[in-house]
Amino acid sequence: MTELEACDSCALNNSAQLLKLGINVENADYVIALAGNPNTGKSTVFNSLTGLKQHTGNWPGKTVTRAEGGYRFKDHKMKLIDLPGTYSLLSTSQDEEITRNFILFGKPDVTIIVVDAARIERNLNLVLQILEITDRAVLCLNLMDEALRHHIDIDERTLGKELGIPVVKCSAIKKQGISELISTVHQVATRQIICKPHRIKGLSKSVKKMVEKLDKIIRKNYPGLPNSRWIAMRLLDADADIIKALKNGDFINN
Amino acid sequence: MILLLNLEKLFTPLLNQAYISLFFTALLILFFILKKYQYSLRSLLPFKYVEKSITEDLLKQLYHITSSQKTTDFRMLSGALKIPERKILKVVESMTQNGLIHISEGHVTLTKTGKNYALSIIRIHRLWEKYLSEKTGFDKSLWHDLAEAKEHQLSKEETEALYEELGRPRFDPHGDPIPTALGEMISETGTSIVGIPKGTVTKIIHIEDEPKSIYRQIIKEKLHIGAHVKILNADNHHIIFESEGHSIQLSTVVASNIQVVLLNSQETYEEGNVRLSSLIEGEHATILGISSECRGANRRRLLDLGFIKGTFLNLEYMGPNQNPRAYRLRNTLIALRNDQADFILIKKTQYDRTGSL
Amino acid sequence: MKNKDIQDLLDLASELRWEIGENFHDTLVEGIYTDAAQIAQKTEIKIGEPNPYSFERKLDQVLTSKKYGFPVMILILSIILWLTIQGANYPSSLLASFFLEFLYPMLKTGASQIGLPWWLDGFLIDGVYLALGWVISVMLPPMAIFFPMFTLLEDFGYLPRVAFNLDSLFKKSGAHGKQALTMSMGWGCNAAGVVATRIIDSPRERLIAIITNNFSLCNGRWPTQILIATIFIGALVPDNFSSILASLAVIGIALLGIGFTFLSSWMLSKTLLKGEVSTFALELPPFRPPNLWTTLYTSLIDRTLIVLWRAIVFAAPAGAIIWLISNIYVDDLSLANITIDWMDGFGLFFGLNGVILLAYVVAIPANEIVIPTILMLTVAHLNLMGAGNGVMFELESTTETAALLHAGGWTLLTGINLMLFSLLHNPCSTTIYTIYQETKSWKWTVFASIMPVILGFLVIFLVTQMWQLFQ
Repeated sequence: MTELEACDSCALNNSAQLLKLGINVENADYVIALAGNPNTGKSTVFNSLTGLKQHTGNWPGKTVTRAEGGYRFKDHKMKLIDLPGTYSLLSTSQDEEITRNFILFGKPDVTIIVVDAARIERNLNLVLQILEITDRAVLCLNLMDEALRHHIDIDERTLGKELGIPVVKCSAIKKQGISELISTVHQVATRQIICKPHRIKGLSKSVKKMVEKLDKIIRKNYPGLPNSRWIAMRLLDADADIIKALKNGDFINN
Repeated sequence: MILLLNLEKLFTPLLNQAYISLFFTALLILFFILKKYQYSLRSLLPFKYVEKSITEDLLKQLYHITSSQKTTDFRMLSGALKIPERKILKVVESMTQNGLIHISEGHVTLTKTGKNYALSIIRIHRLWEKYLSEKTGFDKSLWHDLAEAKEHQLSKEETEALYEELGRPRFDPHGDPIPTALGEMISETGTSIVGIPKGTVTKIIHIEDEPKSIYRQIIKEKLHIGAHVKILNADNHHIIFESEGHSIQLSTVVASNIQVVLLNSQETYEEGNVRLSSLIEGEHATILGISSECRGANRRRLLDLGFIKGTFLNLEYMGPNQNPRAYRLRNTLIALRNDQADFILIKKTQYDRTGSL
Repeated sequence: MKNKDIQDLLDLASELRWEIGENFHDTLVEGIYTDAAQIAQKTEIKIGEPNPYSFERKLDQVLTSKKYGFPVMILILSIILWLTIQGANYPSSLLASFFLEFLYPMLKTGASQIGLPWWLDGFLIDGVYLALGWVISVMLPPMAIFFPMFTLLEDFGYLPRVAFNLDSLFKKSGAHGKQALTMSMGWGCNAAGVVATRIIDSPRERLIAIITNNFSLCNGRWPTQILIATIFIGALVPDNFSSILASLAVIGIALLGIGFTFLSSWMLSKTLLKGEVSTFALELPPFRPPNLWTTLYTSLIDRTLIVLWRAIVFAAPAGAIIWLISNIYVDDLSLANITIDWMDGFGLFFGLNGVILLAYVVAIPANEIVIPTILMLTVAHLNLMGAGNGVMFELESTTETAALLHAGGWTLLTGINLMLFSLLHNPCSTTIYTIYQETKSWKWTVFASIMPVILGFLVIFLVTQMWQLFQ
């Protein structure tokens, strides 16, 4: 893959898989996914990024609506996909399956994770799961105004360091922080910022050992897979979809 | 013109209201009779359609009787399966020819082949109960009957695919071991709760789902596998024990269907262990865990919402009907129905350590 | 990766799974939350005294209290319904007069000037155009008022509280509290109500909400109810009381719809759907000021226009068919009249008539055109001189309509049965299509379409039998 070496900042998304997921990427330089818990003002962020220039459709074969929009920044066309709001990626509800498959197989160039600044602990559940799957993400600390009104502030530098991804404070409803979000997303997309995402540490020693054992085998067979550890954890949990994807070879075209 | 056929003339005599109501009532009654007695009515069907299921039920029955070291004869079998003796004899004849059973002096025993066949049926039955408990919304009082029907229908390939899909489980939702594809089964180690001395703390590992009337009584008390139980008092007729903050009295007959083991070294009995549904307005608590009775999508949903061991929460308000109730945890309000809150075990605390409320 | 390697990997995974015990999922989620708590602790800065959210809490206490919870809810819902019905009146008649009184004659003149053959002119203008005109003018204004108001309440955070308050009621019939919201949405438009069931994340309860949404009397059916109630039920009492009795009758029908929602929800959850997975989760988000303009814009785009577009797509061919059956003759009788005669016996047996049945068959795309179609078919069937064959119309006054319907042989029983049948019949084709879109299952789509018709025929059959018994 000499082409990849030649172009450090080229789009890394999996356009073939994206097409299968119903997303046409022909006219876009980068594909950006927007994920987050319900009630975090995700759609406000989406609207302030795309300026209401969106169109909706259904995920193929699914009943979940998808909003798509786009914006331009520094001569790059960004395509923004609004993923369904979910609390987690582990419950295997339809919304969660879509969000997970999009990030796992579509490999968006950047995933913006919107969180409610006043409820960060609870929101981190989803954030940490997404960071196990992708290493190209930006955290959007939304609803900052509301958090401050309730006397809660966030040390975004420490948070960024802990999570290993850039953190941007926003108040989308007041259009605050959106331009910074746009430029940060661009930097991650063009690989000016390389993320070193947090990986789940809170497991007991014995469980960690088992995860590592499986992880090692997966990495040996699929070198360069960014989320082998996550796949190992899904195998331990007997996730039927992941087992199927493994058998179908969906992780190979990387 | 055919189109101009006058329907009125055709219909009026036929659709006399008395006949219609009679017809519908008869249909309705027939439906309920069929539904209620579908199992016993099976013997009315032509023999070749029911031979397989009678054979398999017979094998299962024999297996259970043999493993409890008893012997049996035809009359007992026909009584247990609610099938006329005449039909049983016919089945038994072909089973003997196929080498599944062995008869001597009127007593019936299983051959090796027969035992393996029986275990493969038990495997399907228990796997299907596991499936019903994890992947569907059927009430647990229905699992047994549904599995009774399914065990005669699944092929070997389908069974193994199901086994894979469920993540190769080893126990069914009642705590019974699932035989392996090779016909091996872990032996049960629990003892009946009857006869355990007073003051002992035990854990429920098995609840027998037959007979149904007794099983229903146990479910009604919300007893479930994994629940810690402390024996408070026992005499010849009754046993009184405490579980999840509730004191429960059962007759010895009912209680003998519950199997328990002593707690292992890592498990401790929490004295103040109560269900979340007992929390009242303004009270705070720490979550001790979610009962193992809460499974599948429901369990995962509760975990994702943050009902995790060690989480602090309080009851914010009860709502106009006291159900559902709104709980605040991690600065978020989540409404749970009381039957969900029954699954969550808590310990009430005086104050909230996080201070974020 | 070779198949054997994959199998080995999976074998190893299930081996290890058993070493952990059955609850790896619990372990994993606990691990994630442990990390989350640590990170949150390091990064959250509390400024001074924590603000106890006192206003939000007080508001919540009131909105969910035993004393005020239900009254506030009923008040807000009544205001919304009142605003919708009253507010839609003016733009509706404006649109109607534009499409039907201003543009329609112009099109007709234009068509004759360019020498369009009569059948093409009739097919396109009397058929397709008129149906579209009716649908848009009756459907658009109420939806454009109803949906944004609903979305504003949703964004403010009030709707989850409604679901919370009403959940115990819905739980008794095996449904989810959020069905209260999709049901109210159905009063605006069933198709939109069906789309709204996406907020219910439990499969069983969502299917229940989809299948029973049709029992919410939608916008397109209110005018039918009001007209028929005024003509047949209002006429039973002296003039002073007639409008009161007529409104009570309409409200009664709407309440009956709620009753059927609960009844069929309960039956479904106990029979067909008892095996579907059922979970309950309801987050009560903090109250937030809604973003007025964005909300108005997105609810107009996402809900109103999408539903309207679907209705238009289905109404256009219906208009064409209505015109065609009135203008194709076999042996001196139009297809419409042949069908009416053919259906009349069946219709009368159930206490309706052939005209009503045919109207419901051809007007399946939209309930809005049922009354115009009935009037048109009645005139055609009585061989009266009307606006022309296959031209849908409405009469200026209720008295004229009443006279026409009486001439068509309608009785009080016909009126009552039409009101019941208007509540209990198949969903309109827009809704049927939406149900398919939402469930992706032919089985449930067919079931949701047929179940209400069977129920409807059963109910009017019983009413007719009782009626004849006491006559």
